[in-house]
Amino acid sequence: MTAQTLQKPRKRRRRSEALVAYSFLAPYMFIFLTFTVFAIGYAVYLSFTKYNLLRPPEWWGLEGWKRVLQDDLFLTKALPNTFKYVLIVVPVQTVLSLILAFAMDQKLRFRRFFRTIYYLPSVTSSVVISLIFIWMFSPQGVINQLFRLNINWLNDVRTAFPTIMMVNIFTTTGTLMLIFLAGLQDIPTTLYEAAAIDGANKIQSLLYVTIPMLRPVIFFVMTTGVIGCFQVFDQIYVMTNGGPLNSTTTVAYVIYKWAFRDTTIKMGQAAVVAIILTMIIMAVTFLQRRIIEGSGSAEK
Amino acid sequence: MKKIYFVMSIFVLLSLLLASCATTEAEPVIETVIKTVEVPVIETVEVTVIETQEVIVEVPAEQVEIRLSGWASSPSETALLESLLYRFSVENPDILVRYEPITGDYWQSLLTMIASGTEPDVFYMDIFQFPAYAQEGVLLPLDDLMAGTGTSTGDFIPALMNAFTYEDAVYGIPKDFNTLGLFYNKDMFDAAGLAYPTDDWTWDDLRAAAEALTDLSNPDRPIYGLGVPSDPGRFPIFVFQNGGSIMNADFSDTLLDSTEAVGAGEFYTAFRTDQVGATPADVGEGWQGTVFGKGQFAMVYEGGWLIPYLNDQFPNINYDVVVPPAGPGGEGNMIFTVSWSATVNCQHPEEAWRVIEFLTNEASQTTVLESGFALPSRISLQDSEYLANNPASAAIFRGAFNGAIPFMWGVVGSDVNNFMGQAIERVYLEGALVADSFAQAAADIRAAIEASR
Amino acid sequence: MRATPSTPDSNSRSDRLISLWERMNRPMYYVILIIWAIIAIAPLYFTLVFSLKPVASIYDKPLYFPSPFTLENFKTVIESFDLFPRWLLNSAIVSIVVTVLRVLFCAMGGYAFARMEFPLKKLLFGAMLVSMMIPGQVTLIPNFLVVGPGILRNLKIGDTTIPTGFGLTDNLAGVILPGIVAAFGVFMMTQFYKSLPKELEEAAMMDGLGRWGIFFRVILPISQTQLLTLALLTFQGSWNEFMWPLVILRTPTNFTLPIGLQWFRGEYYTLYSIVLAGSLFNTIPILILFFLFQRYFVQGIATTGMRDV
Repeated sequence: MTAQTLQKPRKRRRRSEALVAYSFLAPYMFIFLTFTVFAIGYAVYLSFTKYNLLRPPEWWGLEGWKRVLQDDLFLTKALPNTFKYVLIVVPVQTVLSLILAFAMDQKLRFRRFFRTIYYLPSVTSSVVISLIFIWMFSPQGVINQLFRLNINWLNDVRTAFPTIMMVNIFTTTGTLMLIFLAGLQDIPTTLYEAAAIDGANKIQSLLYVTIPMLRPVIFFVMTTGVIGCFQVFDQIYVMTNGGPLNSTTTVAYVIYKWAFRDTTIKMGQAAVVAIILTMIIMAVTFLQRRIIEGSGSAEK
Repeated sequence: MKKIYFVMSIFVLLSLLLASCATTEAEPVIETVIKTVEVPVIETVEVTVIETQEVIVEVPAEQVEIRLSGWASSPSETALLESLLYRFSVENPDILVRYEPITGDYWQSLLTMIASGTEPDVFYMDIFQFPAYAQEGVLLPLDDLMAGTGTSTGDFIPALMNAFTYEDAVYGIPKDFNTLGLFYNKDMFDAAGLAYPTDDWTWDDLRAAAEALTDLSNPDRPIYGLGVPSDPGRFPIFVFQNGGSIMNADFSDTLLDSTEAVGAGEFYTAFRTDQVGATPADVGEGWQGTVFGKGQFAMVYEGGWLIPYLNDQFPNINYDVVVPPAGPGGEGNMIFTVSWSATVNCQHPEEAWRVIEFLTNEASQTTVLESGFALPSRISLQDSEYLANNPASAAIFRGAFNGAIPFMWGVVGSDVNNFMGQAIERVYLEGALVADSFAQAAADIRAAIEASR
Repeated sequence: MRATPSTPDSNSRSDRLISLWERMNRPMYYVILIIWAIIAIAPLYFTLVFSLKPVASIYDKPLYFPSPFTLENFKTVIESFDLFPRWLLNSAIVSIVVTVLRVLFCAMGGYAFARMEFPLKKLLFGAMLVSMMIPGQVTLIPNFLVVGPGILRNLKIGDTTIPTGFGLTDNLAGVILPGIVAAFGVFMMTQFYKSLPKELEEAAMMDGLGRWGIFFRVILPISQTQLLTLALLTFQGSWNEFMWPLVILRTPTNFTLPIGLQWFRGEYYTLYSIVLAGSLFNTIPILILFFLFQRYFVQGIATTGMRDV
């Protein structure tokens, strides 16, 4: 059987491999085609329309695009805020969860206990986390009392957004820690043993064994982190509704505001913003991949 | 691991079966709908509002199905609505009402349904959103249907009925309403030796009282005389009381930069600047109702919804309500109201109207009134015993007369709210001058009006 | 990670630092862990405290300890709605089905991307990444149209209407359908499977197993930890999901737990004690599951890897 398998002509092997691959991907392709492709097409279509959801969309050509690219809220608040958010939160949450994962990987006591606790914030619904954080960060709340501060966290233009960042980092670190842990346990001990034989110390084995082996997972965490952070919405919806004075307004919040919240619904413009956001994320992800994976990446 | 796969796949199959069978079908028999709930009403009259019942009702062969929706209020209010619907179904066995409450973002869900042509037959319409919906013709005009059952617009409080009238046609029957009242903490007034507010109070009385009641001696528990949030659902009544308005009559322009509005803004924000008032955020809360309950605001302008809240959350507070004090331009108040409306695409408009008519008739409104949850929109109930026994609610009710204006700013309403709120925030957080801040807000609003054409 | 220093006569600075590091190692780890543990547990702790105090005392001192203590709020949550057990059941059905299907399908897709070559592979992978970048607000309506009433209504040939949607409004299957596979999951499994050493599969192929055989007999068992991670994340996401079920489900009997619990949030004000008590019903099942399944988060390939394939 083996000899025959190896002797199958190349072309047929490749074709049968392709068929097998597609069969593996079939469920995903089904969902992708019915939902994602249609949704993208619909969004693109809507971006060229004037649509208030109460009556059918009207063709508007590039008018919606013009308006969005001149919009004050979008350009001076939403975009800069969102970029700020990504640039700060992604590195912090990646590094923090990596550190926690390393710590959890050591043979320390009460590991199971710690793991469950760290996972807690990710498991609680974001509404509850937001409520508790509002309470904890209020002027007479726990945080101010503990650190003897007098900051009005969520109501001050300077501290509202950082507070949102903190809440998010807090919530996602547990999940990311889990993912890193799963990745760490993929690395065979044989590699570490080989490194030790070659005379590597702890730091070297960390740099030359762990991190390279973790690269695909790090790429995953950072990419999904970037994608998720560009779309940050939940906490803002519950905690600040974009305020005070639009200091916590992000691009995703603008989309929601124009699509559903305003009395003058601008669904077409919301679609424009969504497409712009998607393109930005694509660009950033592409850049990031170049940096992390380097040339001749395993991706290909 | 193999065993787990096997078990899982069986479970998945079972669940898929269950899931696909999970659609509810129209029930020909009205079965247990609600649970017994004790609804405590103010003045310690405990009223059991609903019963658990199994009733076999003779059902005609063809039932018309009406889908009814609204946002979800607290469980007790929901139970109240369900009891009304139950009563309706008993009296109208040929109509099946399916109650489909929306427990999350109401407008997002409703808009999604309208956009996809799957909206419910009868639903809540808030006055604030009403202009856009009326303008786009998605609501069913009710005049002819009203004539059919002899329901007259004159039965209802004029301000409310007019709110839901667009281009001389009625598009919703107001189910209830709320206004703002001046809530004051009796104990704090007693301690400061002040006379209680009356309906004849003016701005000067308000300011004097706020000054006398403020006590900042304890930094951990500051007490302010008046709550002055940047909420666009509170501030405008000061503009009305100063003889001005937020928008002009046909909502084509804003009057936020007028002298009356700026004057009102200066009076309002001065409370906080002079440290005799504060926003809820200043004392760590999201809502001034909570601060009032905690005793850190001596007075707040809030709607009648504060009454059941205080009952549940702060039962020991000793308070009362009066109509908001008059300003240089006289009295002013805002009306918050919600109507039952029907969709223009309704397949059974007659039946939908019967549901609406029932839910807003005198009997139903009396039930609602006596539960303490909302104030009725029918004029005939203004002399009811309940109001006589509940001065707080009566004060809120009185607010609907004497020129109260609905909380609605035309199609660009949400933009007006946003810019108005930000204008006040700028004064509070950035120390801007009221005149400049309001001028900027007015400019922003005009741009929004322009963009919406 | 146990490297043994073997080179003799190393008095270099890095070696001194390393031995210092190894001594401070353990206690330092513990300090970090404990601080973060306190931070992580705070919200849940306060949720517990608030839900164990009577409604009227939520603002009274002491704030860190539930005194007076009461279980009333939990009773209120369960008793206010007859449908509470039904909601639990609905949530359980949806979450379990979605989790099982999604883990399986994402593992399949991940394996294909990680190990197989086929035309359009890069394009499809890129398209999959892009699909994660589209904000949910604009996909809500088209997704709803597909799952429910259909993209085009009244599309007729003769007398029969052609359905352009699945017609699953107000049905748990409608909640489940879009979730049976997720780009996030496929992406994650792809990255995990890329790290697996190829020797295992090569050995299996020598033994004559086809791709499917390798997948079920070799890959899935080896990637237990990763599968469980995905399962846990999926279950949690599905259990807490709100926006989509809200739009799809209509009748209260079909609600999932988060939708039903939102019923406690009033129009004008919220009694937080009850809302928080309700939220615990949402959180605790996942925690229990997590704690139980920790046993399976064992060293994956490192221990079983080279053993017996």
